[in-house]
Amino acid sequence: MLQPLNPVNRAVKNLGFMIALISSIAGCVLSLSILLSGEPLHVDVLQTRMFGTIAIHADRLSAFFLGTISFLAAVVSIYSLGYATEFLQRRNMVWLVFLYHAFLLSMAGVVMAGHTVLFLFVWEVMSLTTYFLINYDHEDPASRRAAFLYVVMTHIGTAFLVVMFMILYVYTGSFSFEAFTSAGPRLPAVAQSLIFLCATIGFGIKAGIIPFHIWLPEAHPAAPSNISALMSGVMIKTGIYGMVRVFFDFLGPEIPEWWGILILILAVTSSVLGVLYALMEHDLKRLLAFHSIENIGIILMGVGAALLFSSLGNKTLAAIALIAGLYHVLNHAMFKGLLFLGAGSVLHGTRSRNIEELGGLIKKMPWTSFFFLIGAVAISGLPPLNGFVSEWLTFQALLLGFHISDLAVKIAVPVTVALLALTGALAAACFVKAFGITFLGLPRSDHAEHAHESSPTMITAMGLLAMACVVFGVAPGLVVSALDPLASSLLGVNLSGQVALNGGMLLVPQSTSTSIAPPVLTALLMAIIVVPLLGGYLIGGKLRKRVAMTWACGLQKIGPQMQYTATGFSKPIRMIFSNIYRATHEIEISEETSPYFRASITYELKTESVFLKHLYEPVYNFIIVSARMVRRIQTGHVQSYLAYIFITLVLLLLFAR
Amino acid sequence: MGIIHLSTIGLLIDIFAAAILVTAVLIVSSRSLVFYIRLFALQSFFLGAVALLVVLGYGETHILIAAFLTIAVKAIALPMVLTRVIERIQVRKEIEFSINITASLLLCAGMVILSDSVAQSILSSQRGEAPAVSRVLSVSIAMMLIGLFIMMTRKKALTQIIGLLTMENGVFLSGLSITYGMPLIVEVGIFFDIMIAVLILGVFVFRINKTFETISIDSLRNLRH
Repeated sequence: MLQPLNPVNRAVKNLGFMIALISSIAGCVLSLSILLSGEPLHVDVLQTRMFGTIAIHADRLSAFFLGTISFLAAVVSIYSLGYATEFLQRRNMVWLVFLYHAFLLSMAGVVMAGHTVLFLFVWEVMSLTTYFLINYDHEDPASRRAAFLYVVMTHIGTAFLVVMFMILYVYTGSFSFEAFTSAGPRLPAVAQSLIFLCATIGFGIKAGIIPFHIWLPEAHPAAPSNISALMSGVMIKTGIYGMVRVFFDFLGPEIPEWWGILILILAVTSSVLGVLYALMEHDLKRLLAFHSIENIGIILMGVGAALLFSSLGNKTLAAIALIAGLYHVLNHAMFKGLLFLGAGSVLHGTRSRNIEELGGLIKKMPWTSFFFLIGAVAISGLPPLNGFVSEWLTFQALLLGFHISDLAVKIAVPVTVALLALTGALAAACFVKAFGITFLGLPRSDHAEHAHESSPTMITAMGLLAMACVVFGVAPGLVVSALDPLASSLLGVNLSGQVALNGGMLLVPQSTSTSIAPPVLTALLMAIIVVPLLGGYLIGGKLRKRVAMTWACGLQKIGPQMQYTATGFSKPIRMIFSNIYRATHEIEISEETSPYFRASITYELKTESVFLKHLYEPVYNFIIVSARMVRRIQTGHVQSYLAYIFITLVLLLLFAR
Repeated sequence: MGIIHLSTIGLLIDIFAAAILVTAVLIVSSRSLVFYIRLFALQSFFLGAVALLVVLGYGETHILIAAFLTIAVKAIALPMVLTRVIERIQVRKEIEFSINITASLLLCAGMVILSDSVAQSILSSQRGEAPAVSRVLSVSIAMMLIGLFIMMTRKKALTQIIGLLTMENGVFLSGLSITYGMPLIVEVGIFFDIMIAVLILGVFVFRINKTFETISIDSLRNLRH
């Protein structure tokens, strides 16, 4: 335990996050230079006899992810300057700053590695640093449990990745990614499919797709909020990076059709179930964590559609779908980063993550509320913000696929489109709940009553991300023109001939009539609001204000406890999807003397996770039972261990004779 | 050719090898910790003698240093250290056996037969006339097995050390028999290793005795939970 307000600790914090900020900006510059010039960065790091030349190789795909990571990292570093102040008194800053830097470096390393050994090394460094960061509040048993679950899941993922690289090595005789790229398409079909499945599971666990998501809703809330923003915003995207790298760069372009279908199924499951579980959450950070699962699903819809179209030979559509997916990667990093930073500010200002205890924060924390609202609108996919653009692109790519005469596509596309629409609607509902209950109304507890606005650095950071949400929403041409050469390098099709990028503003696939102009849409939306107001004013004259008591069913006194709750808000959806939630509730009423005077009423609601119960618990039980059986030979006697060695030795000598 | 005729040297090596095996079996048959240490010293002395004979008979001078080290470290220094440990902890008898002495001796006989057959099959695969020293391969394998067997069946920590050292002597002997000894640097490394291991184990025995009031390693089972 450190002395209160140790000056060294403060200096370490400021210096550490400033350096992180500067290096993140450097990362942005590097990424932009690669994206603009198209020249891959190649650095030979080490000559080894066993593994060949270990190299860093960053092409456009790496650069895109590096840019996303670096931008969010820069913003989060600014935020951390203010946010980490709350740890000053009780934590050693050197440890936090060290982990933070190692985490950022390892993420950059993952997307820039050009060699299996380097990749697996930084991948593991990333897993371990996040393990320690999730466990940052190690006094809390929930944090320790979350960290343990995370480290177990992520190592299962790594095991699959090792198998995948082994298969690639067996067929190519090399560990370098360049060799995989050149030899990958010529592998036998069985090996390709094995690699595909290993990559889907291995990277899928990191990305948090359902059913491999169980670590995610535990881990994100446990970590400090600046770390949650990075984990949810960019770390889980390294899983997407891995998938795109393996599917399109290593294995493509001749691929079986079922790959795309499988990815689409996973994507749809993740997005719909992710948002449904999010609706039932009242812990702000857990809610956001479930939305990460949903958005990973939306990203994977793009990736899966790209695989599907690519396997049918329609490269143009594949390119549009891939661009849509990658665009959503960037957008999700922006708005989810923003929302987690906002949740961090709420936590910072109120010490509570439970939205049932909050309310009325818009008056105490106006800036946080405003930026959180922007994030909420963006994640709900409403124009003119960035979430809308990428979801719209995904829709467009899928809808254009209607023209393909293939039975699987004819089934897959409408289902995906319908469920994506459902996801968007549910996400909007969820954020109406999250924003409304947290920021509007009256404070429901003392925490919320005494909330305070965050420090200027934290607000600046949120403002930067909010600005990015607006810019990427209003000017999609910027991003698409950067992603187009990237998609063409992977799929061999250039869109610029087929999709007009009118002044960086419009996205118009010329072959069909569907088109979208975000600025026009914005103007339209503004008009929808302004015109009726104006019309009303012109026709009806001045607006009249009337101050009156809210209708309260005849009660005399209205308290904050009588407000609409988050549980109440989500009740209709809980009813509709009762098969998925399998909710059970308990009402406990304690009476005094007469049933008309009740001392207290407790209401407890539980929803059960289908995956935990039917997928993970059987596996877990099996492992425990078999471990118990193996444990019998672990007597604890040194002699019996020696006896095992002795018996083995004698048997070996007998057989080797 | 050395000063003495090669067949004489072969005979002497056989005799010493047999003596080494006898000391190992005697350790199995005994109960006294002091006797263990003396037998081990004698065993190491014979081992040094075999190494010297290899130098004389086959002109492998690099083993000379290893031979002297064997006598200095294993036959003199380590027994002294171990004797001091015994004096300090005041334990003289090994009384806990997993397998009684009679059965142990029978099993040892079995191990010797097994090692001999293994060694024969290894040597018969070699081309040409094998030198006399390679005959001790069977003895060396038997010593490794017997050393492990001692560690397995006896419970006093000090006996464990004796078992380990017996195994190590077996390794040295097998090195001698197959390749006229390993390179000097390896041998010196192993000596250093053994020295340190015994010193640390000696300290451990002392500490175990102080903590558990016994040097029976059975008590270590309590550490499991």
